[in-house]
Amino acid sequence: MEIRISGVSKYYYAEGKTIKALDDVNLVIPANRIFTLLGPSGSGKTTLLRCIVGLEMPDTGEIAIGDEIVWSREKNISVPPEKRGLGMVFQTYAIWPHMNVFDNVAYPLQVRGMAKDEITQRVAETLRFVQLEGFERRPATKLSGGQQQRVALARALVAAPKVILFDEPLSNLDAKLREETRKELRAFLGKLGITAVYVTHDRVEALALSDSIAVMRAGQIVETGSPQKIYFDADHRFVADFIGRANLVPARVVAEEGGQTVVDCALGRVACQRRAIPAGAEATLCIRPEFIHVMNGEAPAGQNMVNGRIASLAFVGETYEAEIHAGELQLLARIDPDAGLAAGDAVHFALAPAHCLLVAQ
Amino acid sequence: MNGPTNPRTRLTWSLIFIVGALTVFPVLMLVLGSFSEGLTAFGHFTTDKYVAAYTDPAFFEVIANTAIFVLGTSLLSTVLALFLAYLNTRTDIPFKGLFRVISIVPMMIPHLLFAVSWALLLNPSNGLVNLALKQAFGLDEAPFNIYSLWGMILVEGLLELPIAYLIVAPAMASFDVALEESSRVCGAGTWRTLLRVTLPVLRPAILAAFTLGIVRSLASFAVPAMIGMPGRVQVLATHLYTMISTGFATDYGKAAAVGMSVLVASVTLIVVYRALTAESEKFVTVSSRGFRPTLIELGRARLPLFGLVGLLSLALIVLPVAVLLYTSFVPYSMVPSSRAFSLMSLRHWAAVLEDPISLLALKNSLFLAVVGATLGVMLSVFVAYVIVKVKSRAAGLLESLSYLSFSFPGIVIGVGFMWFFVQTPLYATIWALLLGYIATYLPYGIRPMASAFVQIHGHLEESSLVCGASPLTTMRRIIVPLLIPGIVSGWILLASMFVRELTLSVVLSRPGTEVLAVQILRFSEDGLWGRLSALGIVMIFISTTLVVLATVVGNRFKAA
Repeated sequence: MEIRISGVSKYYYAEGKTIKALDDVNLVIPANRIFTLLGPSGSGKTTLLRCIVGLEMPDTGEIAIGDEIVWSREKNISVPPEKRGLGMVFQTYAIWPHMNVFDNVAYPLQVRGMAKDEITQRVAETLRFVQLEGFERRPATKLSGGQQQRVALARALVAAPKVILFDEPLSNLDAKLREETRKELRAFLGKLGITAVYVTHDRVEALALSDSIAVMRAGQIVETGSPQKIYFDADHRFVADFIGRANLVPARVVAEEGGQTVVDCALGRVACQRRAIPAGAEATLCIRPEFIHVMNGEAPAGQNMVNGRIASLAFVGETYEAEIHAGELQLLARIDPDAGLAAGDAVHFALAPAHCLLVAQ
Repeated sequence: MNGPTNPRTRLTWSLIFIVGALTVFPVLMLVLGSFSEGLTAFGHFTTDKYVAAYTDPAFFEVIANTAIFVLGTSLLSTVLALFLAYLNTRTDIPFKGLFRVISIVPMMIPHLLFAVSWALLLNPSNGLVNLALKQAFGLDEAPFNIYSLWGMILVEGLLELPIAYLIVAPAMASFDVALEESSRVCGAGTWRTLLRVTLPVLRPAILAAFTLGIVRSLASFAVPAMIGMPGRVQVLATHLYTMISTGFATDYGKAAAVGMSVLVASVTLIVVYRALTAESEKFVTVSSRGFRPTLIELGRARLPLFGLVGLLSLALIVLPVAVLLYTSFVPYSMVPSSRAFSLMSLRHWAAVLEDPISLLALKNSLFLAVVGATLGVMLSVFVAYVIVKVKSRAAGLLESLSYLSFSFPGIVIGVGFMWFFVQTPLYATIWALLLGYIATYLPYGIRPMASAFVQIHGHLEESSLVCGASPLTTMRRIIVPLLIPGIVSGWILLASMFVRELTLSVVLSRPGTEVLAVQILRFSEDGLWGRLSALGIVMIFISTTLVVLATVVGNRFKAA
């Protein structure tokens, strides 16, 4: 179900200062897709999620889920969380320690006064879906982190909610389990085709899971788009920087030539992906380390051609991370482990215009 | 062939011997006494005392009263503690510092005097509130009678409130709010969430507070003596007291026989209590990182609820002291008025300061506090050291032994001591009281010391040994200096408890060895409320000074 958020603000007062947790947020979360709110801590993403679910009350604006307005300051509507018919997976899973798996999952149905045998059947179905068949009688606290996470998911799903919300559900798992659980979650949600709102500060998680990402900063939505759009084609410097590792180089637009925007910067003249920025304007050139393909030796200087020297190499497993001195710049690059390069070597690389991203200041 | 003996093993066993003598011995004497013929001569083995004690027609009523009293008290204190803890940790109630005050300050006001002040306010013949209401509404009869089972429950419940709060509040504070929020999102309303999630998750802590409340009110003597006895409401503690101290035929054998069942009940409940606290640690869930949800806004209920908390702290702290102070200046019970103020004098204060027995009691109490606390702390340092630093089976035995007296009801263990002291020259000397105090309050000395030891790393001590110092030198030069803050606060805690000790003293104190609390009890039995209040204020003053000192010293060392 579609979620429409218009003009929502939320203020906190601490030590005499007003903190804008949400600052006039306008957002439409499309139906039956996985939508991620991504941002650094303190950006307001969790507050926005809690406003949608009803655990926080905004100070202004309106929130509608499907056709129903669940919060409106002007119309004086405030539907409490228990009447919104949503499902939520908490960061800590919030598995009730005094109940076993069955009671945890059955709770939303018991609260709705469903008949006993129907509850048993629905719980069994949902547990089968999250691959926890036969775990009904286990005490919930005796499960592993990944299993608790699936209990929380089952509990959120069992009452067929209109929307399911996730508040950093993977942040309490260790790295390996997090990756597995992320894949599982993607598979579960893909099968369900339900509207899901997912909050995270982990960009890899956001890119891997989402159909659509909204990047937040300081209580505002900076940019919304598909993972590919956000990663390769961000409009904002903050987004380009936050979503992946990036070399950010200040540049000045020279002209538009052959469907490319040409800039001058410390790397010389560089042709970039086309952007509607007028000639003479300042911009930031964003180059991701994985698109800097370093080769041995010097090359004749020219457009999109850069010479430099390897300042340092760090082995990080699947690749070497190199710092390259190019003029006055320090650039981060990835180098293949079998490239046979060492610190101090002179190198050159060509920049593909498609991977030279210009973002507004 | 003997191997070299480890000095630590020798230390452990000597401590087991000392602590065992202090805690197990009186229990053994109690058991022996309950099966013997009389206090001075054990005589033949006999079960007569049990038969006499448990077939006494009054006994059934005593048991019924005791059950209502302890259950009512624990219920009242636990419910109040839950309510206060919820307000403090989860809502936007103003002046949260007040909750800390409620949980600490009652330690400074001795239970005996707290009970006295309520009696002075609400007794049916001349309680101040009753007098005022009778005057104001022209009533013929006093509207309240504190001298009843309900009065006892009210007063004892308020007294146990701080302990219950100290158990419930941390559990409430560490409670993951997401557990409640997820219930709301699942479709349950506020009340259903409270009943199905909040209270069940807190259940171990709630039950622990309730159990400890039962143990403490079972052992309580001050309230039953001060409020129950005038109203002829007997509970086990006062039943025992009546048997050994009033009338011509004191019967220590019968008292021991009754005491046995109190002791067994108390020890059992403490075992339950320790299991519950262990359980409540198991319930700790994944702790939430970062997000701190906003507090529940009380809105219009904010001020009335705060008023209620304010009233409670008034009743717990200000009222008792104010009533005692007032009573110590007026000639007899009268409602505060301009006439009352014009009649005020220092007469009662003068009478107390000229009363040789009161002065003796003051001297004895101060002696017991200073010497008792010093010896108690010295013993505690060694015991805590072995418990924390020596990991052997013997050390485990010592730990169990030293915490045993935590569950001892003072009056019962006093009877046990009586059977022992009467055979020795210690009988009716101040040393009998001294030994009894240290034995009964040892856990309170050990606990702060044990937590101080936990913080001292083993390497500090080991490097001293490697440098060539003997274990005793190491203790004196390295460990004790590091322990100073723990030692100081332990000493003050024990001293302030000894200054106001009542339950053990009423059994062991004899003419010549009166202590403050016993003298106050005598004054109340003689109806000398003015003198009682003056002596009570002296006691509160000493006790408060000690607690304030403990806090200051504690903060001083924390800052360093």
